[in-house]
Amino acid sequence: MPKYVFDAHRLVGPVPFDDLPSDPRGEMDRLGIDRACVTHTLSLHSDPQAGNEALLALGDPRLVPVPVVVPGETRDDWEGVRMIRLCPERHRFDLTGPRALRSLEALGLPAAIDLDETSPAQLRHLAERLPGQRLLVLNPGYRRLRALAELMEEAPNVWAEIGTVNTQGGVEWLAARFGARRLVFGTGAPVSDDCGPRFLLDHLDLPAEDVERIAAGTLEALL
Amino acid sequence: MILDAHGHVGTWPDFLIPNPTAEHLVATMDRIGVDAMGISHLLAVGPDAVRGNELAMEIAERFPGRFGVWQVYNPHHRTPLAREGVWGVKLHPDVHQCRLDDPLYEPVWRLGLPVLAHGQTDSPWSDPAQFAAVAARHPRVPLIMGHTGLWPYGFGRAARLVADHPNVYLDTCGSKMTGRWIARLVELAGAERVLFGSDACFLDLRTGYGRVALAPLSDADRALVRGANLARLLGLPAGPHA
Repeated sequence: MPKYVFDAHRLVGPVPFDDLPSDPRGEMDRLGIDRACVTHTLSLHSDPQAGNEALLALGDPRLVPVPVVVPGETRDDWEGVRMIRLCPERHRFDLTGPRALRSLEALGLPAAIDLDETSPAQLRHLAERLPGQRLLVLNPGYRRLRALAELMEEAPNVWAEIGTVNTQGGVEWLAARFGARRLVFGTGAPVSDDCGPRFLLDHLDLPAEDVERIAAGTLEALL
Repeated sequence: MILDAHGHVGTWPDFLIPNPTAEHLVATMDRIGVDAMGISHLLAVGPDAVRGNELAMEIAERFPGRFGVWQVYNPHHRTPLAREGVWGVKLHPDVHQCRLDDPLYEPVWRLGLPVLAHGQTDSPWSDPAQFAAVAARHPRVPLIMGHTGLWPYGFGRAARLVADHPNVYLDTCGSKMTGRWIARLVELAGAERVLFGSDACFLDLRTGYGRVALAPLSDADRALVRGANLARLLGLPAGPHA
């Protein structure tokens, strides 16, 4: 079982479609999750900048802020921020358009993107245009394993969150191809499940050092 | 005792299943303590129920006590059904494009064995309202609603629709299920009506069981969900479960 667990993908704040905990720390304590990258739900379901300001005001070192960037609209100075998030579908911008490319190049930070917000082809195109850009694919799911693998083969600066890699042996299959240094533990909680992925992390059929990497080490290195 | 109500063996055309074999499932079951799993072969869910059911029976014989068989009934092919040596009958109204309340399923209800059916909110084939309808018609047939309707927005409705049909059980598998929702279903339907299911090898057994293992439940409720309810429903002894 990993000694230290760092969740790459959690939300803080209310969602409009369910009654879920706004503060992730209670569930993190209960499930043994030491630290989490968090995005504010206001940035997803209301105003990105207002959500980012609420996020940056949290001031808890357990909660690593991942603000949402809308290229050309949200601010450009992210002092202390180690990763940003892009939502090209939700915010209706072109992920590989000139404005997004300029913004990412100027920021120089890893970018997390939910695969439901884009496509493997678009991410591959982005990686080709900005080969130094580090990309963390959130919520890759289990139905697009072949396409995810092709993307990771072609784009060495792409990492994948494992929380929804949910077909039998899927995480080990990815680890055999790309190594634990390309895989990070993440949940998408509280909208997505954190109990199953947390249990999976404790029962991966991988060497202990690889489990430690997936649990926290790979994400620490990425950030 | 941990019993998985909803499992599969075999490949599926929509996506890659890295480990679709019974051997891998047994290794994973041993790793996390699952005693037995009810399986249907995905070939049987797909185009060939007869051959798929034979394969599932062969697997159950090869691993005594570890697998029970949900024999698939294809309503278009009028699949022959066994009365002995199986846990019950598996229906997949969406794949077979035949509504759960269609008369073509009459041979299944007449058989009287437990039935596990795919359930999917707002599907024309398997909406939870159809479970309530057939449960009312066949109150002596135990009926498991696979996935509790699949989509989170429908979980609560699914529990309400079958509240007055005590022969209907809700299973926990599906890619959108959460530990939090399992606890809510226990509150809404009662712990004795909720069954652990994983959908492995379609989905990962560890993730599916982890939701039950780590859901915010009392120990007593968790024991019911993870195995005691299914053992009672199937009349299984405390020992081997096939």
